Amino acid sequence: MSSNNKKWFSLDLNKKTDSCDCGKTSDGCKSSSNSYPHQSLHQISDADFDAAVDTEIANSYKKDGFEQVFDVKMDRRSAFKKLAASLAIGASAVSTSCSFIAGDESKEKSQIDWEEQFKGNYKLMSDEEKQATVDRLVRSYQLRTGKNVSMSSKNAEKDVLFGYAFNISKCQGYMDCVSACVEENNQDRNSQMEYIRIHEMKDGKGFNFNEADDNYYHEVPAEGHFYMGTQCFHCDNPPCVEVCPVSATWREDDGLVVIDYDWCVGCRYCMAACPYDGRRFNWSKPEVPEQEVNKNQHYLGNRMRKKGVMEKCTFCVQRSRAGKNPACVEACPTGARIFGNLLDPNSTIRWVLENKKVFRLKEDLGTEPKFWYFMD
Amino acid sequence: MYLKDNKTMRNSYNIIYDLIGIFLFTGIFYSCKHKKDEYHSVTDKIEAESKNYHGTSISSDAYIGHIKTIEITEGEQTFLIPERKSQIKSYACTECHTKSLEKMQSKGFKKAHWNISIDHANENTMNCITCHDGKNMDNLSSITRKSIDFNNSYNLCSQCHTKQFEDWKGGAHGKRIGGWAPPRASMTCVNCHNPHKPHKPHFESRWPARYNTQKLKERE
Amino acid sequence: MHPLRDCRGKPDLCGNTQNIKLRVIIKVYMRRLKVFRSLVKDSLETITHGSKKYHFWMAFLTFIMLVGMYCYSIQLDQGLSVTGMTDRVSWGLYISNFTFLVGVAAAAVMLVMPTYVLKDVDFKQAVLIGEGIAVAALFMCLAFVVADMGGPSVLWHMIPGIGVFNFPNSMLTWDVLVLNGYLFLNLSIPFYILFRHYQGKKSKKSVYIPGAMISVFWAVAIHLVTAFLYQGLQARPFWNNALLGPRFLASAFAAGPALIILVLAIIRTYTEFTIKDKTIKKIAMVVTIAAQINLIMLISELFKEFYAPTHHSESAYYLFFGLDGKSALLPWIWTSIFLNVLATVILTFHKLRNNFKILFFACIILFVAIWIEKGFGLIVPGFIPGPYGKIAEYLPTGIEIGVTLGIWAMGALIFTVLAKTAIKIETGKLRYKIESIK
Repeated sequence: MSSNNKKWFSLDLNKKTDSCDCGKTSDGCKSSSNSYPHQSLHQISDADFDAAVDTEIANSYKKDGFEQVFDVKMDRRSAFKKLAASLAIGASAVSTSCSFIAGDESKEKSQIDWEEQFKGNYKLMSDEEKQATVDRLVRSYQLRTGKNVSMSSKNAEKDVLFGYAFNISKCQGYMDCVSACVEENNQDRNSQMEYIRIHEMKDGKGFNFNEADDNYYHEVPAEGHFYMGTQCFHCDNPPCVEVCPVSATWREDDGLVVIDYDWCVGCRYCMAACPYDGRRFNWSKPEVPEQEVNKNQHYLGNRMRKKGVMEKCTFCVQRSRAGKNPACVEACPTGARIFGNLLDPNSTIRWVLENKKVFRLKEDLGTEPKFWYFMD
Repeated sequence: MYLKDNKTMRNSYNIIYDLIGIFLFTGIFYSCKHKKDEYHSVTDKIEAESKNYHGTSISSDAYIGHIKTIEITEGEQTFLIPERKSQIKSYACTECHTKSLEKMQSKGFKKAHWNISIDHANENTMNCITCHDGKNMDNLSSITRKSIDFNNSYNLCSQCHTKQFEDWKGGAHGKRIGGWAPPRASMTCVNCHNPHKPHKPHFESRWPARYNTQKLKERE
Repeated sequence: MHPLRDCRGKPDLCGNTQNIKLRVIIKVYMRRLKVFRSLVKDSLETITHGSKKYHFWMAFLTFIMLVGMYCYSIQLDQGLSVTGMTDRVSWGLYISNFTFLVGVAAAAVMLVMPTYVLKDVDFKQAVLIGEGIAVAALFMCLAFVVADMGGPSVLWHMIPGIGVFNFPNSMLTWDVLVLNGYLFLNLSIPFYILFRHYQGKKSKKSVYIPGAMISVFWAVAIHLVTAFLYQGLQARPFWNNALLGPRFLASAFAAGPALIILVLAIIRTYTEFTIKDKTIKKIAMVVTIAAQINLIMLISELFKEFYAPTHHSESAYYLFFGLDGKSALLPWIWTSIFLNVLATVILTFHKLRNNFKILFFACIILFVAIWIEKGFGLIVPGFIPGPYGKIAEYLPTGIEIGVTLGIWAMGALIFTVLAKTAIKIETGKLRYKIESIK
């Protein structure tokens, strides 16, 4: 330990042979084992004492280990990244290595859970990071239920802008689209979440939403009524994207407005901002019966969500980015729903926009939805 | 105490007010919403971005694969439709009907296709030979007695239902097979509508696929 | 003399002069730390000792807080489905209280501004109390926001730098910034003043006057930004009008000082903190004017909605008259308007306003009226009818009410703690004694 001369403690790791602990400046420390501190104090002259104190002060301001670590210059972003990373690593090390009873699988599971907890926003991830998080989620599902899912992290294709058209004359109110959507997108069965709403309106009153019924249950099509459906319209100027405080929802390059479920904090501001009732919130833990789970998933689409996050129609991103039609388009028996690439001049959606009299809902709000309505 | 510090305090107040003003101004200026490459409407965007359209690598081929299709070109549209002849159980007609229709119209011949009755338009407009070619039963015939292949039966429907035909060519009528990506494959008229009894589907009445009891609860 | 003490002018002896400056700074901060530690110790002693009534009050508040915590734990476990909120009305009791309390917090400035800008000495005594209320209200606001979130464990996503902060597009991010900034201002400036007074020193004007100036503008900003949260949504025509921001300010400056008057009355009765009648009368004047402006704005809104009703007036019809037989909010809003008008009329008459018993009654009913108006009279009707005209009514559940009461109790507790310490320091009872430190 240090001698009584020292007024403060220092971790002096750089010290080599500059001065001796016992205060002697000559003869080295050969007799250190024999001399007692109080004896050495009496033996040193004032001048020597002064010199010794000087050197001590000088030594103590060399960088010790503490300062070496904490005096490194770095900018805030990398500092936080390092902190978060070290926190994640430390926490995962603690949680995984500190349990002796738990098997390897649950250790791996807690490791995955920790990494998932501290990952960043999907929009800002590189392709490798996207693939990594998809792998983690697939593995986590496997560990939890023993079943396999396939999850894609496919990005938007170039030269693709998805658009949708709805033929009001053709809709008969069957709600096959609603059923297909719920099954395709693994929506919560307890709260009977439905992205699509079909409104039954009386003939002759125009689009009178106030008097429309979107929860009918009788034989359709009912006499004197017509039917039309609403869902997320994937606006090109989406108010929900503007207001999200953490940018958990954004518009992808192919026009789809998507949500990163793991980044959403559940403030529901986007729900207040949507003029079209496009968004749904998981008020409780979403549950889907195991045999009904759709195993072809996309990270931004129909993978299993948790409670307290927002979700919505994604134009079946897991299907549309692979070239298929969304489930609602596929399921409609009358062919009332049309989907395609707005940038392809030969697509059916373009033909509809150019040749039929189309309109959109609430045009005056300036949201530019990519969902048009038309009649025969 | 206040009097002494008044002048210096007023100067410091002025500086503070100036700073706050500058801060607010720059804040408002920088929160301006118009970004560089944003369009005013979707149609502007579509027009601008489809100028350099090169096509996508995504294709619907995989989803059409199991259906036999043929390619047709009507007007400006070229697309696939399901092949029909292989789907009709009793094709080809001449396997049974070697004689022409006039010859069959004498007494004594057994009447075939007793299960097919026509319920399509009134009798002034429609009977069997409106569409079927009496002389060559393997084909259909138009109003002007031009021969039309069974696979292209839509040409018959288009004689009266011109509006639906135009819509169907463009893609607004009828159902698409496969996916949204090219090549486009669509159902033809007879894939959904029975030409002898078009009321099915027209469409039939039935109950909706789902009933949301939760929505009911929240409206009470 | 010890060589370490006398280093000036002898650089060869001590190394360098930077060494000295560093040691002086360290010494000063060590001393300040000592004073701080003693302040913390003394305040702990202050808040744990008091009259029987005080202990009963604190026990009562703690009990309600525990009930609130229990309810919140249920909510954390089962999700927000235990509340009355649905996809139709997705903001309810929590956000209503949040909106109202931001206004109360902003109103502390109504005391700061006259004191420092208009140099009216009469308000000076009440400034610290006002800022204490602002701090308590801000903590309540933050608690309500966290209680309302679906995913409080991922709150770090909102921290700029670590998470993603969608500034300046999202008004919520502006709100986070201004609220936390205001909290910092209202914590640091009174803390500085009290810290100096605790040591028996005078607080330096050059330190707290700029802070007070900024807090005046900042208070207006916090409530305008909170109003803009709603005002900027084109999807909700009930909120999307130009008057919402000014209306928020007017009702805040009515409700906040009303609360301050009530609190000052309680402080006058139960402590030795002297508050002159003049101060209360002046604050009452502020409340009166703000309440009158609030009424004028209400009349303006009613005119716009009901003179030539459009499709956008549906929410107002639902709120004031009921729609399609759904009229759950009718008793609330009409009570609120009645109390509002009654309070404003009472306050307008000098004779009634200067009679303190009547003044306190008027303040209580005004506070309640504005609470109802900002909560059930603004947030809930904004969602009814929904985007497609469907009406789904909202009723808070027991758990929601429990958590709300718990958070209000927490706010009252924070304020009591702050006020008790501050009053003791301001009345000279609590001072830093060097001998009391070991």
